[in-house]
Amino acid sequence: MEANETHDVVVIGGGPAGLAAALGARRAGAGKVLLVERDRTLGGILNQCVHDGFGLFLYNETISGPEYAERLIEDVVREPIKVETGTMVLDLGPDRVLRINSRAGYRLVRAGAVVLAMGCRERTREMIEIPGTRPAGVFTAGSAQNLVNLQNLRIGNAAVVLGSGDIGLIMARRLTFEGVAVKGVFEIMPWASGLERNVRQCLLDFGIPLELRSTVVEIRGRDRVESVVVAKVDDALGPVAGTESVIPCDTLLLSVGLIPENELSKRAGVALSPFTGGAVVDQTLMTSVPGIFSCGNVLHIHDVADWASYEGFAAGESAARYAAGEKAAGGTVRVSAGPNVKYVLPQVLTAGSAGVEWSFRTMRPLRNVQVVVKGKTTGKVYARKKFGRLLPSELQKIKVRPAVEEDLEVSCHE
Amino acid sequence: MNDRPALDRLTCVLCPVGCELEIRKDEAGELDVQGNQCDKGVPFAVEEILHPKRNLATSVPVRGTAATMVSVRLSGPVPREMIFPILAEIARLRPESPVRRGQVLIADVLGTGVDVIATRTVES
Amino acid sequence: MLTVMDETKSSVYDVAVIGGGAVGCAVLRELSRYDLKLLLLEREADLAEGISKGNSGVIHAGFNVSAGSLKAKTNAAGLGMIYGLAAELGVPHRKTGKLVVALANADRSRLEELKADGDKNGVQDLEIVDEAAIRRLEPLARGHWALYSPHTGIISPYEFTIALAECAGQNGARVLLEAPVEAVDFRGGLFHLSTPKGTFAARRVVNSAGLFSDEVARLAGIDEYRVFPYRGEYLITDKDCGLRLGLPVYPVPPRDDPGLGIHITPTLEGNIILGPSAEPVDDKRDVSSTRKAMARLKAEAARLMPELSRVSFIRSYAGIRPKLVDASDKDRFGDFIVEESALRPGWINLVGIESPGLTAAPAIAVMVAGMIGAKTDLRPKPEFKPERLRRTRFAALGDGERVGLVARDADWGEMVCRCEHVARAEVVAALRNPFGAKTMDAVKRRTRCGMGRCQGGFCTPRIVEILQDEGMPVDRITKRGGGSRLFYGWLKG
Repeated sequence: MEANETHDVVVIGGGPAGLAAALGARRAGAGKVLLVERDRTLGGILNQCVHDGFGLFLYNETISGPEYAERLIEDVVREPIKVETGTMVLDLGPDRVLRINSRAGYRLVRAGAVVLAMGCRERTREMIEIPGTRPAGVFTAGSAQNLVNLQNLRIGNAAVVLGSGDIGLIMARRLTFEGVAVKGVFEIMPWASGLERNVRQCLLDFGIPLELRSTVVEIRGRDRVESVVVAKVDDALGPVAGTESVIPCDTLLLSVGLIPENELSKRAGVALSPFTGGAVVDQTLMTSVPGIFSCGNVLHIHDVADWASYEGFAAGESAARYAAGEKAAGGTVRVSAGPNVKYVLPQVLTAGSAGVEWSFRTMRPLRNVQVVVKGKTTGKVYARKKFGRLLPSELQKIKVRPAVEEDLEVSCHE
Repeated sequence: MNDRPALDRLTCVLCPVGCELEIRKDEAGELDVQGNQCDKGVPFAVEEILHPKRNLATSVPVRGTAATMVSVRLSGPVPREMIFPILAEIARLRPESPVRRGQVLIADVLGTGVDVIATRTVES
Repeated sequence: MLTVMDETKSSVYDVAVIGGGAVGCAVLRELSRYDLKLLLLEREADLAEGISKGNSGVIHAGFNVSAGSLKAKTNAAGLGMIYGLAAELGVPHRKTGKLVVALANADRSRLEELKADGDKNGVQDLEIVDEAAIRRLEPLARGHWALYSPHTGIISPYEFTIALAECAGQNGARVLLEAPVEAVDFRGGLFHLSTPKGTFAARRVVNSAGLFSDEVARLAGIDEYRVFPYRGEYLITDKDCGLRLGLPVYPVPPRDDPGLGIHITPTLEGNIILGPSAEPVDDKRDVSSTRKAMARLKAEAARLMPELSRVSFIRSYAGIRPKLVDASDKDRFGDFIVEESALRPGWINLVGIESPGLTAAPAIAVMVAGMIGAKTDLRPKPEFKPERLRRTRFAALGDGERVGLVARDADWGEMVCRCEHVARAEVVAALRNPFGAKTMDAVKRRTRCGMGRCQGGFCTPRIVEILQDEGMPVDRITKRGGGSRLFYGWLKG
């Protein structure tokens, strides 16, 4: 079957990154822009994030997720951007032909450039292999957030939260607000994986215990969760025998990590990074497949929605330029993560490019840190930045001003 | 240099930078804040120790529906101890559609001087 | 409307089948060829909730069972029927072949023994192959030698079970869910089966209650059987895990394993199943996963197929097998029991139907029909339809078919499951199944919603909405019936 509908830029996903990407594409002059969202409304995960803390960078004030979404959506609908909600992209080829399905019909669409902004999904009980029974009452924190905030459903009466990701912390507070007893948050690592302000405002405020170096080792209950067994873990993250305790509860929420949702990217042949779970991109956010760009949580997991939007603007602009025929420069310089650095973005740069702002995350909490960007051949220092403290929960930025001509490595030194 | 033991250590929550603040009493008994990277850190820490304030957010169904939800928050922070009394007020709320984003659903809730506002638009 | 009492008086069933697993449903479907009033009683909220859901889904060729046994006989006969039957019912299946690999040279003799057993059982075309042939047949397999069985295959065991029941239903049989038989009374030449859904009278009963067949027999006063539950744990990979397995790969059956050993099996969708462990348990419904067994599965996988060590699993599950032999009694062979009770004529017990019961089910069904036919005149119904109304799977369709389908019914345009590409129309059809199975697991097994890598993270809120659209109150939404409720009503009513 042939695609007989074309657009300059097709953006897949209408969350904080995709909305911005559509706007970015328009700003950079793209004529026909199509924004495809699988949910019935635009906004993505923002719609269920009713708590505030969004918009501090983009709007210079702190607002809730739905407000942040509506503001971006208002900008989008003012533009001649074709928005399709309730529409899912089922396939994407390296030739940028998309297979799209919605109640209005199934069709093939050809894009001058594609922006991937599909967001992420949650790690499940199964991915962390919690032994035990398989009763009702085990929810990922994001699913629970959807059911509670958007569907008005009481998901339980007494809950344990496994994992200290931001959604888990926020749901601990949210459930407390609704009269659900939150028995505790258990985190396998020696530090919280969510933002510190969420630990304070969501747990400490309500006396909800945060147990570090602990995990759920068994789920009990045949029909509905009846209890979970928690235990301390050793340095290899294995449970320590004799430290088990049984916590009666009817609900287990999992906030054990997010995974960029790159199924479509894979179908298009986009090269993925094992460190981010997202695409390998250059300084224009173009993936290994020419004309396909990536931004937001599908590229790497963000701590703050604003950064996903900034990335969206940039990816949309790049996509518009590509669609207009501007030749992609292509990445030849490789950037690698050195000591204490979990990952760096972009992973490749065009030789000679200058003034690129990089995102990175650390492997573990660090204090009084010097971040250094060094040439791998010459040892030349391209950038240096000091931080009082770096946490793995936080995405950091560093700008590399000089033109780069050699492979680079980013490292953090305490 | 103030080397008295810290009264409290807290993370500034005004922005995601999350400065780690240490609060001590100086010789005069005044609160002394260290670790802030901007000017907002000091009043934040003092208020956080003496009178912690919070915003809150939840959602309520539109009148006559089971699960057409309007998300709500407060127009500004309130003393932390007001959270549950205000939640009880909000729980009774069943706004009529249409609802506009920013619409005041409860003005000056429980005399706090703060409004409960809708954070989502629901068309009728 | 008929009340329960009225119904009891007005209707006497010719045959009541107890248990909606693969065997019970095969019996029901086989009997539905004849002019009989049929009832199937299932204790759970859906069919295939017991032994039939937690297994490897392998169509066995029949070389692993003692020559001359009923297992061997029904396996061979079942193999001759099951491919045709699956095609008739529109159940996805594939004849893949199978390899039993000898990782050590010394194990070659064990392969010879297996082949000899197979030859005795009449298994066709078994062949001992060398390393080069193994590589050719399955590049992922290891081994110095292997027994290659070309007629082994794979099938979805729960789809097969459900399809059998649906076909029987279309031919007039009645299926009742959440109807555990709690008491049996024999009077007036009839068996009166008491369930929470009413008491049902039947002239004949087929006890196909799987793990509980011993207990159900005891309700009828037949205290002859004891079923020992053995748990088998499995792990399953993402279908996009990067490995494409073409056929089941088994080890030489370990002497200390009451089963066939931990093996690796592809699903029709491309997942890889690893398992099962085999461990006696006390509780017949204890399908827990354990840290110990998961570690054992992975260790065995590393031996059998080292590539599996690098992929992540998207789910663990477990099934319970009904053994007739206690763990301490290693030497005795527990054969299938398919017999009419001497104490209670008209009551047929099917006990200990473990592997290869899925393959044997169609043959056992014919045996049961034969036993009933020996006592009464079975008149074939001319209107019997062997086929079943097929389900359409959006994911399996080409572009042209998809365009047409969505144009005809917009519900095909609304995607509910992102991982398995399931459309709303499929979920709605699943919920309108003829037996009223309306649990989350019922939707999952009929549509694959929730079987993908996100394990229901995306589709659960959507299915919850569709369930409500179909008239289900929120506090009655369950994972698999009983007390497995998902919600405690509305937050703000």
